[in-house]
Amino acid sequence: MKITLRMWIMFAFIAFALISIFSIPPTFLKKGVSVTSVESNTSIYDSGLRQNMVITSINNQQINNLQDYSNIINNIKNTFIGNETQKVTIQTNKIEIIGLFKENFSNDLNVQNIPKTRIITGSDLQGGIQALVSAENHSLTTNELNDLISVTQERLNVYGLSDVNVKPVSDSDGNNFMSVEIAGASPSNLENLISQQGNFEAKIGNETVFIGGNKDITFVASSGQDVYIQCPQKTLCQFYFAITLSPGAATRQAILTQNLTINASSGGRYLSKTLDLYLDGKKIDSLNIGIDLKGREVTNIEISGAGTGADQEESYNDAKENMKKLQTILKTGSLPFKLQIDSLNRTSPNLGKGFINTILIAGLLAFIGVFAIVLIRYKKIKLSFVMIFVMASEILIILGIAALIHWNLNLASIAGIIAAIGTGVDDQIVIVDETKRSKSEPLKRRIKSALFIIFTAYATSVVSLLPLLNAGAGLLKGFAVTTLIGITTGVFITRPAFADIVRQLEE
Amino acid sequence: MKFTRWYDNNHKKILIIPALLIIISLVYLSYFTVQNQDIIYKDVSLTGGTTITFSTNISVSELQTQLSQTYSDVSVSSISDNTGKQLGIVVIIPDTNENAIMNLKTSIQDVVGFQLTDENSSIEFSGSTLSQDFYSQLVKAVIFAFLLMALVVFIVFGENKKIKVYSILLTAATAILTFSVNNSIKIPLVISVITVFFYSLYLSKTKKEYIFSLSLITIFFVFYFLPIYLAIIPLAILLFTIYAVVSVPSIAVILSAFADIVIPLAIIDFFGVKISAAGIVAFLMLIGYSVDTDILLTIRVLKKKNESVNNAIYGAFKTGTSMTLTSMVAISVALIVVYNFHSILNQIFIILIIGLGFDLINTWITNASIIKWYVEKRK
Repeated sequence: MKITLRMWIMFAFIAFALISIFSIPPTFLKKGVSVTSVESNTSIYDSGLRQNMVITSINNQQINNLQDYSNIINNIKNTFIGNETQKVTIQTNKIEIIGLFKENFSNDLNVQNIPKTRIITGSDLQGGIQALVSAENHSLTTNELNDLISVTQERLNVYGLSDVNVKPVSDSDGNNFMSVEIAGASPSNLENLISQQGNFEAKIGNETVFIGGNKDITFVASSGQDVYIQCPQKTLCQFYFAITLSPGAATRQAILTQNLTINASSGGRYLSKTLDLYLDGKKIDSLNIGIDLKGREVTNIEISGAGTGADQEESYNDAKENMKKLQTILKTGSLPFKLQIDSLNRTSPNLGKGFINTILIAGLLAFIGVFAIVLIRYKKIKLSFVMIFVMASEILIILGIAALIHWNLNLASIAGIIAAIGTGVDDQIVIVDETKRSKSEPLKRRIKSALFIIFTAYATSVVSLLPLLNAGAGLLKGFAVTTLIGITTGVFITRPAFADIVRQLEE
Repeated sequence: MKFTRWYDNNHKKILIIPALLIIISLVYLSYFTVQNQDIIYKDVSLTGGTTITFSTNISVSELQTQLSQTYSDVSVSSISDNTGKQLGIVVIIPDTNENAIMNLKTSIQDVVGFQLTDENSSIEFSGSTLSQDFYSQLVKAVIFAFLLMALVVFIVFGENKKIKVYSILLTAATAILTFSVNNSIKIPLVISVITVFFYSLYLSKTKKEYIFSLSLITIFFVFYFLPIYLAIIPLAILLFTIYAVVSVPSIAVILSAFADIVIPLAIIDFFGVKISAAGIVAFLMLIGYSVDTDILLTIRVLKKKNESVNNAIYGAFKTGTSMTLTSMVAISVALIVVYNFHSILNQIFIILIIGLGFDLINTWITNASIIKWYVEKRK
């Protein structure tokens, strides 16, 4: 058989799909455990361990999987005596961490086996939470929604949640929602977490200076002349932005700072205590207080901080990110509306597990069913195998694209794959039949006519899916998008290749 | 040969079968709508409510008896694996506020005797406002998907370029009326589109004059008597009338697709099935699947060379039934395997199987007879 250009294209896409799904080198060959979350402000976090790193060994004992990891952690735990700290060496794919940790350091992080593929399944299949949040009796503007999303992301980070996807969505009536999707296990109080704006407090010692909300912080500058970033060195950039406090908060600030001494080690620039920022009761940052603020009732305060990096661009971006984080925190609780959860879907990881396997079995049996019918109809084993092969490669390409664009495959998406594959088989039958009939016409023309039928059918399917994209705040977007990906790759990649194969079988 | 002769004599007469099916369905759906104030029974995903799923061996009837003492409108059903072993139970109530959910949890815990945790149970709720919005948006999406499908069919099979352009404009106007959030652009846009339409038709003669007067009545009707969101209905009727007058092959395809939706819908309603959001999507999928065979048939018959109409139809029939049957077999097999999980896939599959079944009638009787009639008359 001569391999034509269209067949090469299909093979290229299959190869690309395989790479996209399994990555290079294949993830299922990788050894270690992947870090799904690290609690911030812990010694292990400060020593550099971050989400998505892969731990390959601890204290030079190799870790291949979750089992190895828990064995090693248990062994290490047994060597601790009382509240002492020990040197622990953690080798990750990115850095080597050598630090002094306490016995329960492993409680500050969560790990899992390295996923075998890069396909992400939705929370309705692997367990997790999916929620839509909007404002009560108020329609969210785009700016409000963006603020809400930044604040929520920040707060979810504080809880050390991994795999969190918070994004704005809107429905076809123009209503805006915040969509929160968290895969895997999640805290049981998450409903409360996302249905409230969160508490922000700034304390000096144990005394509260100001709390989040318009009452204490009347303004947080996020653009304009009150915001700027300077880079005195290539590796260090400093940011400055202004906030406005209410007179009440300014008075409290003056009272609480008037008895503070000057911190000598800071070169006389700062006071002895710091302003500690708490989000939902957890300390997330500490700011030095300039000596000029001591005992003074100031409503306009300049907040500053720094960012570092290997070069100017990196440190600038780091500073910008740190600034945005701080601005977000200061805005927490200041949104002028009450939140409500419009829909919530919490799937138990245990209930979802068996279902993926069942879907795979269903798919396999459907394949066999299609094979049987095609075999009965055409009585040609070679042709039937080619059809099944092309069908399988279509699924592979859809999954490959899904993995590439980090598309979340949920149940609706699976329905979409089914729809696309159904159309694919139909089109293959059209191609085969069209090449077989009216032998008076040249084969090339007959194939052309088959592709015309297919393209018309494709156009009707595409237009009928478009109105679904935004309906119901994108709850069924998964279906529409996977079907569109499937039928589009089908029409432009696999079907032309299939037509070439059929032509050669026919000739 | 015998069959060919019979078909030649009777292809018009057998149209009575699908015609009756469509009429009965439409009458039943109208009756149903009057009775229920809606065209379907909506399930919890469209009305709003709370669903709790948990693993247990307790029997459905036991839990049902206990819970119905407190909840008048509670639904209890089981999920099981393929061996028939019960995996868990699904409890649905129409309430969505926090207290109601907590109370339901407590009631269930009292009966089953263990705590419902995030590990052993799933919970799902959607507020009634969101669900109602979702429903109306989905219905709009299906209606609109149908209009767009019809437009593509008309662009492919219609013959008059000018009217194709009008149809695109009119469909665009309908889209703006239905989906535009911004009211200020709505009216001027629609009026300008319709003015273009109006003026061009004024210039043309004959068949188009007929369309013209119809357009005038419809547009008048839309703007003087209807709230703007209802405009989609008369505008859709206008579009379909244009297609019917200008291109018989197009309206044959559209009619067949329409029947593919209406008949299964009537059957589903008749059996009292509550339709979910996924079920509505299944009707949308049905639009895509059902026109495939109609398009195949129409292209084969219209583009045939040195072949009789009957042969062209028969060739298309062989291909088309293979298409429909493979889809039906694949979906039925998948349905049997996933059935016990009671997921959204069940309803999608069931609606598709019913729809594809009727598509055999609608394509190979309705559409085939009309196109044969049309081609033979054109000679």
